Amino acid sequence: MTESSTEGLEEKKLPRRDWILLPVLGLTTAVLLVCSTELIALRIYALSRTGGEDCMVLNSSSKTLGGIPNSVCWEKIPEGKLTEYRFNNSGYRSDTDFGPKLPGTFRIVVIGSSFVVGARVPIEEAFATRLSPELSQLTGQKVEIVNEGMAGAAAYPSIVALRFKDALAAKPDMILRIVTPWDIQNQSASIPTSNRNTAPPPQESRVAEFISRVLHHPWRAAFMLRHVLYESQSQYVKSFLMGGDSHYNAGFLRAEPDAEWKKQLLRFDSDDAGIEERVKAAGVPLVVVFLPLRAQAAMISMGEWPAEFDPFKLDNELRSIITSHGGIYIDILPDFRNIPNPEQGYYPVEGHLNARGHAIIARLLTKELTSGAVPALRVSAQPQSAQEYGK
Amino acid sequence: MDAASFQFVFFGLAVALVSNCSCSWIWRSTVLFGASIVFIALLAHNLIVLLPLIGFLSLGYICLVLIERGWSRPLVWSIPPVIFSYIWLKKYTFLPERIFIDYPYFTLGLSYIFFRVLHVLIETGDGGEKRHIGLGSYLLYTLNFTTLVSGPIQRYDEFARDQYASEPITLGPRVVGLQLERIVRGFFKVNVLSVLTHTVQEDALAQMQQPFPISLRLFAAFRLAVVYPFFLYSNFSGYIDIVIALARLMGVRLPENFDRPFSASSFLDFWSRWHITLSTWLKTYVYNPLLLALMRRISLSAIQPFLGVFCFFVTFLLVGIWHGRTSEFVIFGVLQGGGVAINKLWQLGLTRAMGSKGYKTLAKNPVYISFARGLTFSWFAFTLFWFWANWKQIGGAFTALGVAQWLGVWLAIWLSATAVLALWEWFRAALLSIKTSEGPLLTSRYARVVYATALGLVAVVMTVVLKQPAPAIVYKRF
Repeated sequence: MTESSTEGLEEKKLPRRDWILLPVLGLTTAVLLVCSTELIALRIYALSRTGGEDCMVLNSSSKTLGGIPNSVCWEKIPEGKLTEYRFNNSGYRSDTDFGPKLPGTFRIVVIGSSFVVGARVPIEEAFATRLSPELSQLTGQKVEIVNEGMAGAAAYPSIVALRFKDALAAKPDMILRIVTPWDIQNQSASIPTSNRNTAPPPQESRVAEFISRVLHHPWRAAFMLRHVLYESQSQYVKSFLMGGDSHYNAGFLRAEPDAEWKKQLLRFDSDDAGIEERVKAAGVPLVVVFLPLRAQAAMISMGEWPAEFDPFKLDNELRSIITSHGGIYIDILPDFRNIPNPEQGYYPVEGHLNARGHAIIARLLTKELTSGAVPALRVSAQPQSAQEYGK
Repeated sequence: MDAASFQFVFFGLAVALVSNCSCSWIWRSTVLFGASIVFIALLAHNLIVLLPLIGFLSLGYICLVLIERGWSRPLVWSIPPVIFSYIWLKKYTFLPERIFIDYPYFTLGLSYIFFRVLHVLIETGDGGEKRHIGLGSYLLYTLNFTTLVSGPIQRYDEFARDQYASEPITLGPRVVGLQLERIVRGFFKVNVLSVLTHTVQEDALAQMQQPFPISLRLFAAFRLAVVYPFFLYSNFSGYIDIVIALARLMGVRLPENFDRPFSASSFLDFWSRWHITLSTWLKTYVYNPLLLALMRRISLSAIQPFLGVFCFFVTFLLVGIWHGRTSEFVIFGVLQGGGVAINKLWQLGLTRAMGSKGYKTLAKNPVYISFARGLTFSWFAFTLFWFWANWKQIGGAFTALGVAQWLGVWLAIWLSATAVLALWEWFRAALLSIKTSEGPLLTSRYARVVYATALGLVAVVMTVVLKQPAPAIVYKRF
């Protein structure tokens, strides 16, 4: 008899009680399975009620977008640890207030979005924080980092351009601008009127509303499943390339970016021209670095991707835009070829860099900044081999 | 539609529902034929791409008519053109490229149609029971949508027995429940187990090419080899579960294709449990006739036992070659043929050395069985490299480690498989020993409802969460 043979069972009649018992058993199993899995997931992947954005003003009705000066908030995302967000008197995420530049110090102002802020990790683990001791040790001069990164709507490129005066006011020796696909995608984004989405729910019948609620409920069990599946490099890349995630479409990874991405790149080109003019006028060098998203980093490390995609495409586009305006562009993407499983440096579902990812980025930036792109930071001997990044 | 997707399952269930509106075989056959045409039309999109398939089916039917009319040598003359047409349409790489049709055309299921066509030609020309297969029956048998994509390879007489029965086989609530449970199980195997195992395999393959320490690469090699047999099993047997259950709901009993293959205690035993309908077909139409022909010509009693060894090798070499049109599959065939031939030689050698009784005693020894089971699994896992990979991937995988390291990996696989599969057999037997008055608790309808609900829920959630199309059925490309 083979494994699925049902011979001999077919002729028997089903007892009457089973017409009730079997559906009840099925329903009970489903309810128990759903409830127990959800409870376990809620416990393992806990989420705090507060977040970093509670210490930020993110709507256009306010005078200033950004962190609330001298405020502290706590956040716990399902995949991360409890994290403190402390904002200094200038409204930037920092334990100390920014003062005047000390003599003999090389000051770098870092600007950008949530990756620069060190979203979802303690500030001491953020790559911007790590850069200071690593660069100081390597160059033999005191390198000070002023982290003027901002998250959420406060980091929309239109706001960054407005806030650029802060960067120049800090009298830096260099401005390091970190660009991510998020910045390009939100190039034309407008500022929301409220910190939270308060759009009225669409009018639906009760049944449709219930189904919609069930489907759109942020089930933690589904999150847990996604987290487990996305731990796999190949599965994550496959899923991302098929439809992106909740924040991005995969258009920026296409060998031929779609119309929307092309439009945003044109906008970026125009904005960058303005920024370059301002830094030139101030006599401050501006260095631009592109940081990859999780799927992009994984693709580069794997070394293989479908023909219609190219993880270097956006990087190349940005390089040509920046250099056409006379800016300095440093390219860290090729280094990901030598980093095994770089996607482990990101939160699988949430997508931000975790502590390991920030450490990798800090090392890559240190290497590239000291390799000659910025004459004042140039050192003759490069410290680490590529394989050390993955450790 | 050509995968174990929601669409395919709902399509099959809808066809089964309509098919059961009448007991008449004419109605059931009309519904099945219509559904099969719709199924092909949905996949092919236009008639032009179907022309080569139509040509192949026409050739088969013309040969069948000639044989049925009793012309003197039609069987001898009809088989080679059918085989050549198949090889030509499948574009086997040993043929010159210039003779191939240069536009993309529909080849889905061609391999399985080929087996069915050859089967009816051989059986009709065999001179046994006289029967007439009309054009309608021929098309219904060869294009049946439940067996089109990946089999199982059903015999015509078994198909006709159920399809043309004046009273269809019983379909009570118990049978319907069992088939629905089997569909859920199959869907789970393809959409959950095969996705997970494939993910592990792809990650392991990528890790072998990345600058990891040697210990991690050894572990990646271990996973790479171990996980593919499980992937292939869940992918193929899951799909077969679905089509067997759908066909049963339409009143047709398809043959089983798997019988717990990883419980096999020898490679010969393995091939009687894995893709059963393929190995049975080849044993019937290659092994048996070849062995008979050789035994007629070679009468030396000392050599005769080795004729079986040779015939096994040839049969399973063809099994391997059938799987694909490139040189990798020739090696796969050599390794399958080599495996069964060595297995047979081992049996002959031990029987000679220990005597028939001694060998039988040894073959029943649980420790011997466990190690043999582990060896069977590890050999199959090893041969599958030439099944899933191209030469570049094979080269990459094998150069990532040294010879001694690979030998260490295979030894680890053998020992692990021995222990894990033995534990599994013990665990399964223990579970099945828990019995109620109606039989083992695990196979009771209550237990089936519980685990079918759980598996179905997990499969649906995973399908929704991943938002990916159902994984392709590996065997549909053969």
